[in-house]
Amino acid sequence: MSDLLLQFIYALFATCGFAIIFRVPLKHFPVCMIIGGLAWSCYQICLYYNASAVVGCFIAACLVGLLSDICSRLFKEAATIFIIPGMISLVPGYNIYYTMEALLSSELGDAAKVGSQTLLMAGAIAAGLLVIGAVINVIRSIVKKTAALTRAKL
Amino acid sequence: MVNIFQKKVLILAIYAGEIMMKNGAEVYRVEDTITRICKACRMDHVEIFATPTGIFVSLDNGGEDDDPLTYVKRIDGIETDLNKISKINHFSREFTTTDLSVDDAMKQLKEIDETKPYPIPLRLLGAALVASFFSLIFGGAPVDFCVAFVVGMFAYAFSRFLGKFDINFFVRCFCSCAGAAFLALVASSWIDAAAYQPVIIGTLMIFVPGVAITNAIRDFLSGSMLSGICRMMEAFLIAVALAAGAGVVLKLWSVIGGVFG
Repeated sequence: MSDLLLQFIYALFATCGFAIIFRVPLKHFPVCMIIGGLAWSCYQICLYYNASAVVGCFIAACLVGLLSDICSRLFKEAATIFIIPGMISLVPGYNIYYTMEALLSSELGDAAKVGSQTLLMAGAIAAGLLVIGAVINVIRSIVKKTAALTRAKL
Repeated sequence: MVNIFQKKVLILAIYAGEIMMKNGAEVYRVEDTITRICKACRMDHVEIFATPTGIFVSLDNGGEDDDPLTYVKRIDGIETDLNKISKINHFSREFTTTDLSVDDAMKQLKEIDETKPYPIPLRLLGAALVASFFSLIFGGAPVDFCVAFVVGMFAYAFSRFLGKFDINFFVRCFCSCAGAAFLALVASSWIDAAAYQPVIIGTLMIFVPGVAITNAIRDFLSGSMLSGICRMMEAFLIAVALAAGAGVVLKLWSVIGGVFG
């Protein structure tokens, strides 16, 4: 538990660093940091319950997509402002490194294993954001259509 | 015929689109902004095709014997400045809801384009935070935290420095990662307690292609297949450049260390 809290705090500050590099407007810093921290904690929780890294990435990316969309509506901002700093801690930099290291020591089996996991994790982040985006699009168009229909009836 | 006013509006709209595209907005948002600005000035016959490397806009008045006006804008240089995207978002909302004159709008856009990112020392601190905290996340000790703090700062400064010479983004990633790996190895050979893996991984995270992955997905989702594929490829190449940069130095280090050690 205290481990999880530590991970949350680390991710919080790491996201803060990204927010500075990507020049997020100052007033959105706290929100971005919390989204980044929650995403990483969510990933860690998934790992704790023995989910694979790919599934963890997927669920955490879904969380990022959802939170970012809610915040973008709340603050009337582009959702990208929250998504980019939020999801970036999930990008498998760790696996990129280990793929390279396995390749260097000519352990091709390991390299293929870690490398394919890297690709799958990147794909899972993408899929998570995609699913949430698609669901939100559907909901939005349904809301719009029903609003138009009720207006037409009146 | 397209009149002067319409031409001005078109230039304004393309300028707004260019700023957004250069600073990491999705294709959908760029196209949407340009359409909104044009429609707000009652120019309904606008077609836009935007990709990460160029924006094409054509405009005509819908008459049978009209000459359409077409603009092509080449986009080069990728940076990420979310503040500019946010500002242009507000700008386009303001432009479409109030009757701001085109000249004033152009002035506002120029101001937005010239806003500076955070000062360099602060950005160095940001890079240092990223590197150091990721080294902790990936199992670093407090010593590694300190080493990564310095190495991350150096790597980001080096990448900025190379950027001044208009060096390609991939080459910059490669060189900065190579430099970071070298520093990490030197530090770990000087300080007994320091390991080099967490430091290198932490520094890698600064350059990881998060923006490209995110935007690729959002482009696919909005139906811009071409730019989606572009950005996927960009993300993949950046990842390869990062791994290669660190890998070359690690290999050389082990070879030379093997000879002299």
